[in-house]
Parts: sequence; structure tokens; C-alpha cells
Amino acid sequence: MSNQAIIRFEKVTKQYDEDPPVLNDVSFEMERGRFYTLLGPSGCGKTTILRLIAGLIEPTSGKIYIDGKLVNDVPANKRQVNTVFQDYALFPHLNVFENVAFGLRIKKLKKEEIKQKVREALRFVNLEGYENREIKEMSGGQRQRVAIARAIVNEPEVLLLDEPLSALDLKLRTEMQYELRELQQRLGITFVFVTHDQEEALAMSDEIFVLNNGVIQQRGTPTDIYDEPINRFVANFIGESNILKGRMIQDYLVEFAGKQFTCVDGGFNPNETVEIVIRPEDLEITPPEKGKIQVKVDSQLFRGVHYEICCYDQQGTEWIIHTTKKVNVGDDIGLYFEPEAIHVMRIGETEEEFDARLEAYHEQGVANEG
Amino acid sequence: MKKMKLSTIYLFIVFVILYAPIFYLMFFSFNSGGKMYHFEQFTLDWYRELFHDTRLLIIVLNTVIIALLSSVISTILGVFGAIAIWYVRKNYQKSLLLSFNNVLIVSPDVIIGASFLIMFTVVGIKLGFTSVLLSHIAFSVPIVVIMVLPKLQEMSSSLIDAAQDLGAGRREILTKVILPYITPGIFAGFFMALTYSLDDFAVTFFVTGNGFSTLSVEIYSLARRGISLNINALSTLLFLFTIILVIGYYFIVTKRNGRAVGLGARK
Ligand SMILES: Nc1ncnc2c1ncn2[C@@H]1O[C@H](COP(=O)(O)OP(=O)(O)O)[C@@H](O)[C@H]1O
Ligand SMILES: [Mg+2]
Repeated sequence: MSNQAIIRFEKVTKQYDEDPPVLNDVSFEMERGRFYTLLGPSGCGKTTILRLIAGLIEPTSGKIYIDGKLVNDVPANKRQVNTVFQDYALFPHLNVFENVAFGLRIKKLKKEEIKQKVREALRFVNLEGYENREIKEMSGGQRQRVAIARAIVNEPEVLLLDEPLSALDLKLRTEMQYELRELQQRLGITFVFVTHDQEEALAMSDEIFVLNNGVIQQRGTPTDIYDEPINRFVANFIGESNILKGRMIQDYLVEFAGKQFTCVDGGFNPNETVEIVIRPEDLEITPPEKGKIQVKVDSQLFRGVHYEICCYDQQGTEWIIHTTKKVNVGDDIGLYFEPEAIHVMRIGETEEEFDARLEAYHEQGVANEG
Repeated sequence: MKKMKLSTIYLFIVFVILYAPIFYLMFFSFNSGGKMYHFEQFTLDWYRELFHDTRLLIIVLNTVIIALLSSVISTILGVFGAIAIWYVRKNYQKSLLLSFNNVLIVSPDVIIGASFLIMFTVVGIKLGFTSVLLSHIAFSVPIVVIMVLPKLQEMSSSLIDAAQDLGAGRREILTKVILPYITPGIFAGFFMALTYSLDDFAVTFFVTGNGFSTLSVEIYSLARRGISLNINALSTLLFLFTIILVIGYYFIVTKRNGRAVGLGARK
């Protein structure tokens, strides 16, 4: 098999009537055999991207390629792509076996072959023995497995999953996250998984596309996106963050909260106004004199694994800290953080500019060291 | 508790009032006296007479044939009509079409009958079997549409998406998804059309002619000529037949709906 992209969007725009575009000039590539997640708030265009790939809607402009072939004019029923719908969309008039067999019957496979493939697919999703059940007799989790079996039995090159876990309770959801990830690895096909749950996205994906307002804000591995969010939206949407106004004095030296700190970011103009992200779990509580910043504890919440502590510094800036240590409300404490914990964001930077800058100052960094 | 009792009594009275005339009529169909009062002796003579009346048997046959043919044809037309209305995406067009449909249901039979009579005369269709059949189809189609459309609207559009996603073309979507899904509605529409056709009097009265007659028209003319207990016997048989139809319909619908309702409740 060639290693060209299995799915490619080229400047795809989708607009309904006179409304503002639902997707605006979106371009991306997806490689074979990887687990992709489209992450974004409700209404940002995730389902629209899936429906464009599946062929259930047509782009207003732009080109969509599957497996290197332009598919703008290929109808949904002729695409090598299958979908697990958000409401599962199982056929209520058919039992489990017939639901899974639906696609194979349309392809007019032989009876024996259908039987064997359906059984195999049901075994894949741990539902052997449920062939003759009616859909209404299945629980939510089981229905979801039927929907997955119905899709994978057709051996698609790409499986699209539209928020498949959102209807399940927390425990089942966590279980299914593992199972889906494992299923993807066993099948070795491309998964395009849609969710609005950032934890789910971080846990499951090879690569995450963060969407907002019909634009891809940032794409990258979970750690990339978590550690180096490109802007305020991504920083806020993925995990919790302290976002502060600051000023970049020079490369590797930044000023915020009234003090200067060394950091690991560069490539900015001298004295450029920037935004600083520090993750709550990167803040360490110290005695006031040992901290880089001094704050007063305002409130404390027990969150199970950790405490969430809310503090204010002398300038009145809010600091959120995640820690297993307990403090007392009203205490004066110090906050310590490593230079690596400071992430500097240029205001209004696009993804391409961000990547270019990252590359430039990394090279420079290597040159400096050498 | 008291409230329950009151409502039960009320229902009981209503049903007695509604059914009393029918049972009264049925009772005297077994009267050897020949009158609707003073029951003399139990007899099946009226029924015997009925079954020897070949003219009446032919009329019964006509009625059944018209009912079956018109309900089958109008079910087919109505199902496709409903699907067509359902496919219309623009809301105002959809409600316009639906209003046209509903006007036909609520407009008085007399007007429908008279207008059909005029149309058949103008177009030059001879009054008789064809004219009755055509007009029965015409007033049944809107009924089928109104029975099928809610089923279509209740169907999630993602089922169609899923079928397409699994490789189904237009035809397979229709035969493998839409039609099976709306089958309960189709049955309901068919039985409604059947009963409407069986007991239609007004429209048929207008458009029939040349010796062709259906039961309701025949009973009307018999009754005008004077009361014979023949009519009682005939009405009794019709009533029993209707009861059987209703029970059959009930079983089909509850069996089908049981599935759909169960699914809906889970969502
Ligand atoms: N058929 C449609 N007509 C008009 N607007 C639509 C249609 N389908 C989706 N939209 C709009 O497109 C936007 C994105 O929808 P969607 O892709 O479903 O978002 P999500 O990210 O929640 O899946 C929403 O604002 C929605 O209102
Ligand atoms: Mg969605």
C-alpha cells in the first residue's frame, strides 16, 4: 500500500444558505492506520467534517480526496468509508444479525459468507451469541457495539465515529475508550473520532485536531497540544490553565506578574506583548520566601485525586493550583515553577506561523548549544 | 375511588346508548314475526332469505371488490404521496401540500360526491363500477397519507444516512429501510381506507348508476321501500364483519407498535 494520505481536504468550505460558513477553508491530511480525533465545542463543525468525508453532504467549495482520488462527485454509498452515528442509527425493524448484515446483503454476498463475516464482526465487539436479539432488547453500550460491528463488517479503510461514547455513563465510557483504541490497533485502519471531551481526546488519539468556529485551531499529538497550545482557546479547552498577560523581554526571558523569568520560548520581537500559559499542576507550593511568586490562598476544593486551590497575587491576578498538598484558606504561600512550565503564546498567531517560529528558534537553539 | 366509579358509569351509559340501537336491530333479525316490535319466535329465516337473494349477493361481492381494490390502490398511491410530501424540504411547501390533503378529508362527502359526478359526466366516464372505484380511491388516498406521514416523520433521518453509508442506493433505501419502518402506518392506512370504502354511502350514491350498486346504497333503497327484517339480518352480518376487521387491525397494530414504542422509550 502506498503511504499517501488516506483522506485529504483541500480548502474545503461548507456553507448553508446565507449563514456564516460552518467550515471555513479547512485543509488537512490524514494518514493510514492512525487514530485521529476531531475535538471542539458543540456546533464547531465536527459532524460536518465527518459527513463530508462520508459523502452525506457536499462541500460548498474545495476538494476532498480519499485514497488519492477526488471524491467530490462520489455518492456516500460508493465510498470505502463507514460511520458509527451519534445516535447509532440502528434499524429498529431488523435484529442484531440483520443490522450487521445490512451492508453485506446490499453487496449481494453469498449467504454463508455473510453469516461468517457477521459472526466475526460480532466477536470483534464481544457480542457473539446476540445475533437474534431485537435492537430494543439491547442496552446502550451493546447498541453501540452493534453499530461498530455493522460498520467494520464492511472492511472500510476509514471508520468515522461521531461522539460514540457521549451517551454512555462514565464507567462504561472509560472502558469503551480502551476498547476502541485497541480495536483500531487490531484493525489497523484509520479512525476519525469526534468528541467534545478533551480528556477522551488526550487519552485515545495519535493526533488531535482542535476545532473552533469551523476552523482548525491546532493539530498535533496529545502532548504537543497539551504542552504547547497555540492560543487562548486551545489552552482553555484542553485542560485547565492559568493564562496571564506578559511581555517578552528577549528570547528566553519573559516578564509577567511584575517579575522577569527565564523560559524556553523564543522567536518573538523584543518587548512583544504575549500571553503566558502555566498549567495548574506545574505549580508547586513552597514557603513564601522560597517561591518565585507570592500569593494568598482564597479557596480550596477537594477534587478527588487532587486539591484545586485558588489564590491571588499582589496584582490581583488569579492563580489555580492542582496539588495533593492541603493548605489553609488565608495562608500566604509561595509558588515555584520550572522554566519549562512557562509556555509563551504570541497573540493572534496562526498554526502555520506558530510551526514556522517553533522550527526557527529550535534550529537557533541547537546552533547556540553547538 | 369515587371519581373512577363515576367515570365508569358514564362510559357504560355512553356505550349502552351507542350500541343499543345496533343490538336492538340485531335482536329482531331473529324474529319470526316480521316486525321490529313484539318478538314472536326465534328464526333464521331472514338469513336464509338473504343467502338466496342472488342480486343481494352480487351487491355484497361488488362492495367487497370495490373496497379491496380501492384500498389497495389508494394505499400504494397514498404511501408514495406521503413519501413525496416528506421529501419536500421547504416547510411552507410541505404544510401547503398537507393542507390540500386535509381539506379533502374534512370536506363533506356530498360535495365530493357531487363534484365527482360532474367530473365523470364531463369527462364521459360511464357511471358504474369504474366511477365508484375511482371516487373511492380518490377519497381514500388522503386518509392513507395522513396515517403514513406521522410514521415517516417519526423516523430519524440518520437511518437513511446509515443505509447510504452502508452502500444502499435510492431503491434499497426505500425497500429496506423506509417501507419496513412505516409498515404499521401502511397497515393502518389500508384498514382505514377499507372501512371508509365499505361503509361509504354519500359519494357512492352520487356516482353509481347503470344498475351497479353497493351495500350501503342498497340498504338505503330497501329501507325506503319499507322495513323488512332482511335488512336487520344483513346489518347484523355487516356489523360482525366490521368487528372482525377491527379486532384484526388491533392485533396487527399492537404487535407492530410494541416494537417501535419499546425502542422509543429507551431513547
Ligand atoms: N442542514 C443544516 N442547515 C443549516 N445549518 C446546519 C445544518 N447542519 C449543521 N448546521 C450548522 O452547522 C454548525 C456545525 O454543526 P455540526 O458540524 O453538527 O457541529 P458539531 O461540532 O456539534 O458536530 C452548527 O452551527 C449547525 O447549526
Ligand atoms: Mg455533532
